[in-house]
Amino acid sequence: MTQMNTADVIIIGAGVAGLSTAMQLAGRGAKVIVLERDRVGNGSTGRAAGLLGQLRGKAEQTRMLVDGLAIVKELEKLADVEIFVQTGSLRIAETPERAEEISALVEMGKSIGFDIDHMSIDDVARHLPYMRTDDLVDACYCPTDGHLQPAELAAAYLKVGKQRGVRCETNTPVTGIIVEAGQVRGVRTAAAEYFAPVVMNAGGPWSYLNAELAETVLPTAAIGHYYLTTRPDPANPVDRLSPAVRDRELRIYTRPESGGLIVGIYDAEPDRYDMGKLPADFDMSRMKAARDSLQVAQLIEATHHRFPWINERTPMTITTGIMTFTPDARPFCGEMPNIQGLFHCSGFSGHGIVQSPVIGLIMSQLILDGHSTYDVSSIEADRYFDMPGYIDRRDIEDRCAAMAGNYYGKVERPTVAAGGQAAK
Amino acid sequence: MKILVPTKRVPDTDQKIVASDDGSRVNVEHIPFIINPFDAIALEEAVRIGEQRGDVEVVAVGIGGEGYEQPLRTALAMGAQRAVHVRCDESLDPWNVARLLQAVVLRETPQLVIMGKQAVDDDANQTGQFLAALLGWPQATFASRVVVEGDRLTVDRETDHGIETVRLPLPAVVTADLRLNEPRYASMAGIMKARKKPLDVIAVGDLPVAIEPRLRVISYRSAESRKRGERVKSVDELLDRLTQPGAALHKRG
Repeated sequence: MTQMNTADVIIIGAGVAGLSTAMQLAGRGAKVIVLERDRVGNGSTGRAAGLLGQLRGKAEQTRMLVDGLAIVKELEKLADVEIFVQTGSLRIAETPERAEEISALVEMGKSIGFDIDHMSIDDVARHLPYMRTDDLVDACYCPTDGHLQPAELAAAYLKVGKQRGVRCETNTPVTGIIVEAGQVRGVRTAAAEYFAPVVMNAGGPWSYLNAELAETVLPTAAIGHYYLTTRPDPANPVDRLSPAVRDRELRIYTRPESGGLIVGIYDAEPDRYDMGKLPADFDMSRMKAARDSLQVAQLIEATHHRFPWINERTPMTITTGIMTFTPDARPFCGEMPNIQGLFHCSGFSGHGIVQSPVIGLIMSQLILDGHSTYDVSSIEADRYFDMPGYIDRRDIEDRCAAMAGNYYGKVERPTVAAGGQAAK
Repeated sequence: MKILVPTKRVPDTDQKIVASDDGSRVNVEHIPFIINPFDAIALEEAVRIGEQRGDVEVVAVGIGGEGYEQPLRTALAMGAQRAVHVRCDESLDPWNVARLLQAVVLRETPQLVIMGKQAVDDDANQTGQFLAALLGWPQATFASRVVVEGDRLTVDRETDHGIETVRLPLPAVVTADLRLNEPRYASMAGIMKARKKPLDVIAVGDLPVAIEPRLRVISYRSAESRKRGERVKSVDELLDRLTQPGAALHKRG
């Protein structure tokens, strides 16, 4: 048995982060076992909207997303499936401050040769006849953005990964991480032990609990998120290729979905979850919003402002799930100084789907080469290691929840040179 | 016009429901409770009738223990004007629920009672029918369309033979089926207003009804989980397996 349960890399978690990395590692000849507590892609992956906005506050982050899209296009051919839907994307502004944000974004994008420009309000109204535009002062449009279809993406990673020899075991929660003399040796499950010199923690919202199995503090927090999906409405048709919209003032984002509209909200005071207190068989796909949920009411109110034809009486589905936020909304990717061979890959703060293609590549480089062809300084796992304030779970949760709460709400000062977090 | 909407608080059946080891109860500790989905549809219909007519008071009723306040608040947030909580810590079967509801109806004198066709926890599908019989009111069960015109109702009923349209005089009892409407999520204004709406509590002893159980639960057990499928190598093997004793295509005698 031990022979069978030996690999080069064991990955905890079969969401997009784990599966993408598994596929890349196997592509370079590594023997990979993925262990999943539940079903493939049934955590945050299965609840995601998948919006892809490539232009980020820093040039390197933008490069990662642009390259990630190239990986997706290659993956579409390998797995013979449509993953990327190129709808274009809009940022809209209803205040002078938000307009400044947009100007800074356009300026930054152009400086690195990215296809983005201001769009007149009249043109916005033409593109999106179902959206209210009379209160807008500026907008910008990026034609190459869109969204990734999360289920198709996860299935494609798994399909290609399996062709390359990846073994994926579902309904197999990891109960222990085996560490000897500061070096990881493998993991334990209820039924067996699995051995490998490298273990990658890609447990999404559960990843901080996985880290605790190896006495490591991973400063992520599990944060609730909501979006609605309307059904097709003949009076307000939503074209399949209508652009995605980000309205930071109202804290909402939107994209087309099957003739209806997805609208999600980054709440000012999001729900927090203690993953350790959830039942062992917790299934994120069974989460349900109460009919009198304040968060849902806020979501519907913000949506109604931008899309007046949507109100509480509109037939819709509410999707609620859990995101993994970090104190700076950037993921933790790599080893920490306390344990050799234990890699973390978590904390995508609502952007796991779209970051996963390139993150898989980066993690495979970090694991196999010890370094990446990308500048990973902003996403290194050890950036808060052993720092006071990032050790106590309560503090960590507060910081992560504050980041999540500010995520869309805060006005970004135009800091082109310094490169702040300018875009979703 | 007054519409009474009885609502039941049930465990969210989208969660995994497991019986206790000794079979005496269902383990619900980790399971969120919700308004019975069919009752939410009934409530939505009542609220919509109110929105169309304007002269309607919608009263939500709940019978049960302490936890019932929450679904009643939800009902108020969704648009009921008032709620009545009949405080009762005993476990009740549909017959006794119907008798207690009859007593509430006699107090409240609504022209219409709309309730879910059944609760998703015990799937009894009896309370609405019992209530109509106790009151001597006409009933239209499994409603998929309800139209109020003057003192008459027109209701489409979903039956095994197709849609049956019935007309009945008020007062009446209607039970809601799945396709009647899609219940709303409460608006911000609805949630704010709900905090100030009256929620009256009546002790079950104050109603002129002596609880007389007619059903006794002998035991609960979890549904058997499906056995894992097997992969066969060929169609011949599949046919061979399917015709074995006990299999689907086995010919007896």
